[in-house]
Amino acid sequence: MAAYIARRIGQALLVIWLAYTLVFLAVQLLPNDPVTIFLSADAAANPETIAAMKAQYGYDQPLLVQYFNQLTGLFRGDFGYSLASGQPVSERIGSVASSTLVLASSAFVAAVALAVLLVASATLVRQSWLKRFIINLPPLFAAVPVFWLGLVLLQLLSIQLGIMSLFPDGSFASIAVPVLVLAIHISAPIAQVLLKSVDNVHAQPFVDVLRAKGASPSWIFFRHTLKNAAAPAMTISGITVGTLLAGSVITETVFARSGLGQVVLQAVTAQDVALVQGMVLLTATAFVLVNLVVDLLYPLLDPRILKSGTHGAPRALVA
Amino acid sequence: MGNNNPPTKHRIRARFGVKVLTVLSVATLALSACGSGAQTPVNAAPTGSSEPVQGGTFVYAEVTPINNWQTQAARFYEKSNVLNSVLDRLTYFDAESGKLVGWIASKFTANKDQTEFTFTIRDGVSFSDGTQLDAAAVKTNLDALGLGVEAAQIAPNVDFSAFKSAEVVGKNQVKVTLKSPDANFLRATSSVTSGLVSPATLKLDNAGQSAISKLVGSGPFVFESEKTDEEVTFAKRTDYKWAPETAENQGAAYLDKLVVKYLPEVSNRAGAVQTGQVDLARGLQPVDEIALKDSGNQVLPAKGIDLTTNMAAVRIGSEKLSDPTVRQALQVGIDRQSIKDTVLSDSYVVAGSVLNHEAPGFVDLSADLAYDPEKSKALLDAAGWTVGADGVREKDGVRLEITVTSSNNSVVIKPAFELIEQQWREIGVKLINRAADNTFLATAMIDPNNELFGTRQFAYGGLGPVFGPANNTQTLNADAELNALFAKERAATTEAAHTKLVEEEQRQLVSEKALSLVLWDEVQVYGGNAGAHVEFTSGTAPIFQGAWKTGK
Repeated sequence: MAAYIARRIGQALLVIWLAYTLVFLAVQLLPNDPVTIFLSADAAANPETIAAMKAQYGYDQPLLVQYFNQLTGLFRGDFGYSLASGQPVSERIGSVASSTLVLASSAFVAAVALAVLLVASATLVRQSWLKRFIINLPPLFAAVPVFWLGLVLLQLLSIQLGIMSLFPDGSFASIAVPVLVLAIHISAPIAQVLLKSVDNVHAQPFVDVLRAKGASPSWIFFRHTLKNAAAPAMTISGITVGTLLAGSVITETVFARSGLGQVVLQAVTAQDVALVQGMVLLTATAFVLVNLVVDLLYPLLDPRILKSGTHGAPRALVA
Repeated sequence: MGNNNPPTKHRIRARFGVKVLTVLSVATLALSACGSGAQTPVNAAPTGSSEPVQGGTFVYAEVTPINNWQTQAARFYEKSNVLNSVLDRLTYFDAESGKLVGWIASKFTANKDQTEFTFTIRDGVSFSDGTQLDAAAVKTNLDALGLGVEAAQIAPNVDFSAFKSAEVVGKNQVKVTLKSPDANFLRATSSVTSGLVSPATLKLDNAGQSAISKLVGSGPFVFESEKTDEEVTFAKRTDYKWAPETAENQGAAYLDKLVVKYLPEVSNRAGAVQTGQVDLARGLQPVDEIALKDSGNQVLPAKGIDLTTNMAAVRIGSEKLSDPTVRQALQVGIDRQSIKDTVLSDSYVVAGSVLNHEAPGFVDLSADLAYDPEKSKALLDAAGWTVGADGVREKDGVRLEITVTSSNNSVVIKPAFELIEQQWREIGVKLINRAADNTFLATAMIDPNNELFGTRQFAYGGLGPVFGPANNTQTLNADAELNALFAKERAATTEAAHTKLVEEEQRQLVSEKALSLVLWDEVQVYGGNAGAHVEFTSGTAPIFQGAWKTGK
């Protein structure tokens, strides 16, 4: 077990470092440096000013020096300075991170609950037309764009009915509605995979044995099927972290919420390089961490994974 | 579940039926939401009374949240619209009379050469931190504007490029000396980018000077609290009594509080006004104007007299547009009236020059701008661009295929360029429309090979700083003839001579050199609640100091 954990953590750190390095290199391909891009918002900046600012922020150094300075900066908690927002990157991100964390984690929990609810009802309802209806919901959820659903709900609830604010005013609806919008979208792939995997488990002989012993369908589903079918759905859930962040950009814009989505949007729009790098690092870390947790949970679901030798878990996808 | 029998016809139909049902139920929800736009109960129509009402909290919705509030860089509406009520300036441009009037400077004079300016500073003005806004504080500010603040990595104000020094003379006067004449210098002191801050603010580092919570001004509203990226609250300054000379309200603001919120989603703005969730919102879509008016609320177009018109500025780096004849062909190949009729609204005015109709020195060039596709074709033929097999013109194997970039800040710029794309197709020019694509913009804006930049710019310092320097973001090119003209204009010693030269600049930029393909006068269309009473500066900023609201 210890070796398994150590290996997974090592891999996670490697992925974060690689992501950071790749972004550093990608940024160098931009035709201009961060200072010139920042000052170009002005009508015409003085070349001397540009040079002085480049020196101040170290963008005049050789590439390798910049890279190591930035990398060692990370260990000191210095993520660089966001020129466009006039704030250190860590402050800019830190000031709104909690807002996204609340939105994304609530949406994630709601999405998983919604997915389980859909799959349970699809499996357990007896009316075939209702079953078909429920089975058709996840593809619909996946197809409905987040911004569209958000706009429709705001139009209906805020502008027509006047029962919620267009702004995040701290009311229950102002958090519940964006969470729901995001959750519906995220629940789709989880429900689809879970449904398929429940089908597979139900086709296994042990289920027939349980039925023969007289177990009720719901007993079988909640006590036996779900645990056996959970692994693939967990993999997908881990991967939805990326979708969650992309979804937050849209949800936060539509619902006028502060958050990392807005920061990403601003950073990319203004080509605020330091901020883009900071966001990539944060996203990569979040992605890797969640997938690490998923990896570490696997053996709890299926102890065979640890016994399968040195070649690691039988996961199709590693972050 | 789990059966693998082939689906029967009946089952296929049933499955299809369920799918249709699922889609329909969601679609019905959507339609019911969109269909009844005008049924919302409306507020009472404006009373027409001109007696201001004291008190109340005014909620203003801006477009996107900003974090960098540094004064000199207030060249974005998001900033200038708010800072206008937080920072005072030396002078004020009174749009009604078209004249510059006194504000913090009760008097201002220029020497004949336009190289020395003397400002007499009003008595009894203080910043909200208690510091006096006296001649010494003004000098500190002018130095920061003219020379930048090196310790805080703040670049000089671009409209102060001729600034040499400022000194306190006598008890309450400040004399500014320029390196070279600048007839536009006084006007530049009226800009929000020349807002005066407490000397203590100028001692802060870059992050400090960028934070709205630390920006101390002498304006009618003072920072109270903020929720990052969501809202900023300002309280009125009760002892404010130094409004611009021509302001109707000479005292403190009528409103108790000003709350700035953000609505990045354009389709929510009209609804926010209609439901009274905000009193005023900027960035209304033309399609929302009628519904808003019909619901008893207000559509308020604020003219951007301080800015250039909306235009496609031309870059000649790719050589495709280096011949003025080709640019002139593009200029008359634009059907401006049809742009107004199709994608704009009555709030917009078709451009007659690169300056707006009300701007000082405006010259009407609409005869040179009349839509004439036949003339365009003839000009392009004359320039040697012949129509190729697919209808796009070619010359020496190069296709006349040009790209436009613009920010997505303007709600109408993308559809406008879509229409121009169609119009130019008729004359054999292919426009690649990357307008409103912000990720493309940041690099394309400073790439001289990107032929067109859709924009409008604050022009407080005249057209020189906008189109002159080699790295000006419009043409990205220093045109020697234009720069000679700009220098001559700045050095004009009489108003009549100055106006004449400003007119000549417009003729050069629009008709002769056609480096600015002008589209429509700059205007910001605001949606106002029925009870909101607000006017706007010549830079389209709401004047919250004179604003008031009726109802609730």
